[in-house]
Amino acid sequence: MRELIEELKVKLIEILHLADVTPEDFHEDSQLVGGELGIDSIDVLEMVVMVEKDYGIIINNQEVGEKVFSSLANLAAYIKEHSGQAAS
Amino acid sequence: MTDKQVYIRGTGIISSMGSHLAATEKSLRGNRSAIRPLTLFPLLHGSPLPVGQVGGLSDSATVPRTHLLASLAARQAMDGCIRPPDAIILGTTTGGILTTEKLLRSNDQQKDRYRHHGLNTVANYLADQLNCTGPALVVSTACSSGVVAIALALRMLRRGQAETVLAGGVDSLSRLTYFGFHSLQLVDQAGCRPLDQNRRGMAVAEGAGMLLLTTQKTDTCFAELLGAGLSCDAYHPAAPHPDGQGAFMAMRQALTDAGLGPEEIDYINLHGTGTPDNDLAESKAVRRLFSLPPPLSSIKGASGHSLAAAGAVEAVVATMTITRGLMPANTGLRTVDPALGLQPLTHPLELPARAVLSNSFGFGGNNGSLIIGAADVFQRTASRQRGTGLAIHGYSCLTGAGGTAATIAQTQTGATVAGMAGIEIISANLPPRMIRRLKRLPKMTLSLAAAAYEKATTAAVNAPKPGSVFMGTGWGALSETHDFLTRLAESKEQFPSPTDFVGSVHNGPASQVAIMFGATGPNITTSGGDYSFEQAVMAADLILEDATQPAIILGADEGHDPFSRLLDPSIRPETVLADGGGALCVTREMKDALCALSIPFYQSGKAEGVIAALVDALGVRPNKPSGYALILAGIPAAMHREGKQQLEQFMALSHLSVPVVDYRNYIGEFASASAVATSLAVSFLESGHIPGALVSGGDIAITSETSNILILGLGRQITAMELCRP
Repeated sequence: MRELIEELKVKLIEILHLADVTPEDFHEDSQLVGGELGIDSIDVLEMVVMVEKDYGIIINNQEVGEKVFSSLANLAAYIKEHSGQAAS
Repeated sequence: MTDKQVYIRGTGIISSMGSHLAATEKSLRGNRSAIRPLTLFPLLHGSPLPVGQVGGLSDSATVPRTHLLASLAARQAMDGCIRPPDAIILGTTTGGILTTEKLLRSNDQQKDRYRHHGLNTVANYLADQLNCTGPALVVSTACSSGVVAIALALRMLRRGQAETVLAGGVDSLSRLTYFGFHSLQLVDQAGCRPLDQNRRGMAVAEGAGMLLLTTQKTDTCFAELLGAGLSCDAYHPAAPHPDGQGAFMAMRQALTDAGLGPEEIDYINLHGTGTPDNDLAESKAVRRLFSLPPPLSSIKGASGHSLAAAGAVEAVVATMTITRGLMPANTGLRTVDPALGLQPLTHPLELPARAVLSNSFGFGGNNGSLIIGAADVFQRTASRQRGTGLAIHGYSCLTGAGGTAATIAQTQTGATVAGMAGIEIISANLPPRMIRRLKRLPKMTLSLAAAAYEKATTAAVNAPKPGSVFMGTGWGALSETHDFLTRLAESKEQFPSPTDFVGSVHNGPASQVAIMFGATGPNITTSGGDYSFEQAVMAADLILEDATQPAIILGADEGHDPFSRLLDPSIRPETVLADGGGALCVTREMKDALCALSIPFYQSGKAEGVIAALVDALGVRPNKPSGYALILAGIPAAMHREGKQQLEQFMALSHLSVPVVDYRNYIGEFASASAVATSLAVSFLESGHIPGALVSGGDIAITSETSNILILGLGRQITAMELCRP
């Protein structure tokens, strides 16, 4: 799980162009969408694409999306849970 | 004196609902949806999404589908009218992109084949077909483009600057918009159900709508264009303001412009895209303005959403509502969303209507509303007061040399400033968080706008923030468009970037400026090739009232490899890529202004006797002091021979003996070079001298006798802008 979280930090910094953020000061429990980083609906869609491309998990439901992208920790948990299902 | 009345003399319409007005009416009377799975281009994966595709249109190998659609609708609107229109004003978002996509996929490097890519080529194509030698303007404000084009035409006609204007909107289906809207999860896979409780989004569509507008009433004029309202949410690049604040302002403004009260509107043609957010925001705005809303509906469940065409297609439908007494149903609707608090028409309604309100809202929060009414029913409204000229209070520019100060300093030496400044230079004055997602063009745009405003605030303390934005760009956001199409192709159509799609719209940069300033007034992006900045100045002059807030007028283009080389006919293989732009902070108040800007001339270079007309329009006479200290001439390389001849002819006919600078030699070869030239000219007037190095001599002092600078655009169009020191 820790590994996945660290991996996601790097990915999000890249795809969301968070040039002034380092993985160290990216807190997995802090609010992702609508938080201090200014992440909005377009970023959510960019993350949806990344999750599908890199982890094979499709998120096309707004309610699920809101929960999944509320924090980096929730995103990691969702990926872990669903990639586990996909593998089994 | 009252403004002139503007009549609708002819209409043209082509959409998924049919190829002409009668077919459209039949389709709407039948309350049928024309939305079907896409067949226009093959897909690599999955089943095609439902779209509003135009049937029976035979493709051309060279002329893009957008141009064909525009031409078909234009010919309908011009039916029975022998005289060419005095001007053409067209809204389009993607121009010849469908053809460009095909060429890119086959890795075609023949530049000539991309000649119909630019948005301006659609208006030029119509101008050539219709022998129109007046201004052919293109506006690109995403899904409100058609309405904004018609709103500009209304102003032009009211003021008597033209007697007939062909105005409308057009867009063809393309991979860019098909996959783009899908990547935003805004497409309803089950068709389109505006205002429905279970709506899931829109259906991307194509089409064209045209109005032949005139101040000369004929016996075929049954409807009148009564008013228009424009606003900007200044809220988000793609999502509407959640309370529909901008939508409310556009509708209210249109009513004020028409001199009507809400109770006088008999039917509302909603924007009603079918996306959850749009329909909710629009319903709030409608309920706020109308205590008891009239019959209303969205036709997009029947037609799909034809983007830039939608507002014009629906203006034609609104005209039909007036002339045929038909209020279309909200096709596709099963269960009205109770959260909206509206009762859309579930069946077509036969009811005479005297005034119709039609809404169009687009990306960037660009909103437009039109009011169309029965001819000569409503009282003429009073003339709208406006000042003369645009008073410049601040300016800025960006070039290969860097920002304003660096560019001016280098110009003093006579050395070229052509080139592309580093990304850190073009966004030096912007907070990193504001620009984290933005690529080159929006960064340059924000930087220019911020610098022009800052300059104005140093001149006048407590200057209010800009309320409106007018931007010209020849090519739009090339990086975003390129990156979107590249990732689409590389990922085998699976993972296109939503960020790049939102950023690819031509009005993206100007809407970022609106967000930065909280500018909720009109926000217009023009795209007229090498004359895009001139078109933005014209739009500002037509739209800007004696507002309490200043406006930003700017022009910018980015140099992009490979797109600039492939698309811009003035860039040859050996040309060093150059880019940049210029911005002005303007008001209608000449007090404390640096100088005044006007655009007294804009015509096609093909017009008979155009140079003589230019000389005449400028009021230049032999033995009469012209007041000019300098002429800055813009000659795009692709039109070098013609442009040189035009300039020689102008100098001969005008008998002017004023230094002339062929400014592209210094500024570089890019569409918005004239915006840089204008900012530099303002700096000359401010400093009181023209650098001698530019004119191969000593510095020229600007005196009270020679306090004006003329900026000529030559080539395909002939344009003249004048800067006058007070």
